[in-house]
Amino acid sequence: MPPDTHTAVLGRRAALKATGLAGLALGLSACGRGFGGGDDADQGSVTLNMVWWGDAKRAQKTQAALDLFQRKHPGVTVRVEYQDSAPYKDKLATRFAAGDPPDLMAMRVDSLREYADRGSLLDLGAHSGALDLTGLSESARTLATVGDKTFGVPSGLNSIGFVVNRTLTDRYGVQVPNGDTWSWEDLAGFARQVTAKSGRKVYGTGFEPQTMANLLVFSRQRGEDFFTVDGALGVSEGTVTAWFEMVQRMRDEGGFPPAGFFEESGASAAQSYLAKGTLASQIIPTNNFLSYNEAAGGNLALLRIPGEVQGRRRGQSIDTPALWSIASASKHRDEALKLLDFLVNDAEAAKATGTTRGVPANQRIAETVKPTLEPDDQTATEYLIGLQGEQLPRSYTYPPGGSAIAASLETIATEVEFKRRSAAEGARAFVAEARKALTK
Amino acid sequence: MTVPTGVAAATAAAPAPPRRSRGRRDRAGYLFLLPWFVGMLFTVIPFFASLYLAFTDYDLLTAPRWIGLENFREMLGDARLRQSLQVTFVYTFVSVPLSLAAALLVAMVLHRGIRGLPVYRAVFYLPSLLGGSVAVVLLWRYIFGAEGIVNDFLGWFGVRGPAWTTDPDHALTTLIILHVWTFGSPMVIFLAGLRQIPVAYYEAAAVDGASRFRQFRSITIPLLSPIIFFNLVQSLIASFQTFTQGFVLSGGTGGPAESTLFYNVYLYLRGFTQFDMGYASAMAWVLLVLIAVLTAINFLAARYWVFYDN
Repeated sequence: MPPDTHTAVLGRRAALKATGLAGLALGLSACGRGFGGGDDADQGSVTLNMVWWGDAKRAQKTQAALDLFQRKHPGVTVRVEYQDSAPYKDKLATRFAAGDPPDLMAMRVDSLREYADRGSLLDLGAHSGALDLTGLSESARTLATVGDKTFGVPSGLNSIGFVVNRTLTDRYGVQVPNGDTWSWEDLAGFARQVTAKSGRKVYGTGFEPQTMANLLVFSRQRGEDFFTVDGALGVSEGTVTAWFEMVQRMRDEGGFPPAGFFEESGASAAQSYLAKGTLASQIIPTNNFLSYNEAAGGNLALLRIPGEVQGRRRGQSIDTPALWSIASASKHRDEALKLLDFLVNDAEAAKATGTTRGVPANQRIAETVKPTLEPDDQTATEYLIGLQGEQLPRSYTYPPGGSAIAASLETIATEVEFKRRSAAEGARAFVAEARKALTK
Repeated sequence: MTVPTGVAAATAAAPAPPRRSRGRRDRAGYLFLLPWFVGMLFTVIPFFASLYLAFTDYDLLTAPRWIGLENFREMLGDARLRQSLQVTFVYTFVSVPLSLAAALLVAMVLHRGIRGLPVYRAVFYLPSLLGGSVAVVLLWRYIFGAEGIVNDFLGWFGVRGPAWTTDPDHALTTLIILHVWTFGSPMVIFLAGLRQIPVAYYEAAAVDGASRFRQFRSITIPLLSPIIFFNLVQSLIASFQTFTQGFVLSGGTGGPAESTLFYNVYLYLRGFTQFDMGYASAMAWVLLVLIAVLTAINFLAARYWVFYDN
């Protein structure tokens, strides 16, 4: 085979080149490492890794606050990573598994105990000298409390609220109920009217019955805690049945969209049914009021959840879209605490971040920055400040197993929606599955 | 070309190359293979790590704890696992035959000779390049949405279409349609296979008065059977590994009502959202065995219907 020798020569030459390049690459990366970690430590400069989820707007506002922090603390560099909420969860779990946790991280409320119970998070209460949490209201501080330990700080406060598109109600001549005192019956009546007067072009109301946060409020109004202080399941079959039946009744009357109407796409305000004008009212997280109002044409009213006056007790609670937590394995614990303290207690920082993560957790700061906010953000802020001044039941941290429970609520609610099970059967199955998930 | 070995090689090459160049040549070869070996490490290490993890309780945050066969025992009583197997099997056994039939049909039409063949080939092949991608599944969701193009189209005929992607009775059907649509890669292989069949056979059959259908049954199918077999094995394996379609369509939940809970979607949910990596690893190994068994059955069955011309 004559060409053989020829290729061998070529191969050898190429191989030599390749080894040369590989050697060079190794040498370069070795240099990189040498210049990195070692020298930094000598100068006392520290690089913090901070991760969170969100969009470009939140990134821009967060960076503005971090720039202020780095100007005040020249020795600290903050390296930020962010992405969408779904991949965030996987990435965070993987980083912990790899032994490379970030120093400061956004933590989902329903994941808090999955991490905290396994000793992965720093007990912030034990560092009260470095991190001042006295500006937070009781309801805000306890959002991340497990037993007598605190594993996070709310990155901002929000709640769920009911928004009504007044452009649509004006067009069809339907009166918006009094948002402070309305009942679930009032909602059903209102929804029925909108649907009828619009000739079924617009549905009066709509929200996802499988969203746990909604059912949580409804359970409290009936005097039950969805999750109890000990992390058990407090919600009864009767309450879950009533919840499914209520939605079903509104659907049968036409005020609520038909089964299968909601698709999980269109999570953003601009893609919402409210913005498209096919729904006249829905439940939203209050920190998104600004973006929903912009998307829906600027004439939204922010009401409370129905049934707050008629129920056995209040159902709404102060919540947070995310918590800030520090990894117990962080090598730069002091700097991370300093940064967290800055984000929570510094007025300039709060002005820079605005309300993309909700109203500042520190009440004094919230009052200070309120006048500087855009009008829609002021509306949401007043709503939250108002709620914090009221006697509300405490919101308990989700126990481990919470994500499995959310999954079975999702499945069962859909089965009830498509009438594969009755409301009572669905409720029985849900309570059984939820108990099982918690004892695992 | 054949690789010259031992004495034969030495005598065949007239100006015998110096002995040591061979060793050098081998070294160069291995050097070129080096990236592959390095890459293999990233496969082999996780491979064995996951085998170990399958026998542990591992929550990603604390060290794995050995629990023996407990994960496998839990699988026996796991209703969601059964559901995920059912979804995967239904999906596979409906969509694979349909997509292969579509691929063969289109391949035969194209084989007959059409003007602008490369264009059609590309047009039909394109979906299989895109099929598993997030963008296409999102597009699919849009097309089949409650107010999507499909229902608009049905509306012209006075048919009120269902909520294709959010009704548990239809979500899997929607994904099966998506799968059938991506028949491009088996089609290209069929097309190549059809080219291999000598035209003389058809001419002889036509002279004998065989109908088109008879020609298809007695010439095309037997001579194409190795290709059909290859496509079948490939598609089955790929179908069992379906993840993206179910994940994206349901927003990562396997919903509505677990109707698109593919085996791999459930595996992902257990591993990453419920912090149950030990169980997820055990599931991965069960899938491996399952695919191996099905492939073995396929090869055994092939003896009875696959015809090799030589």
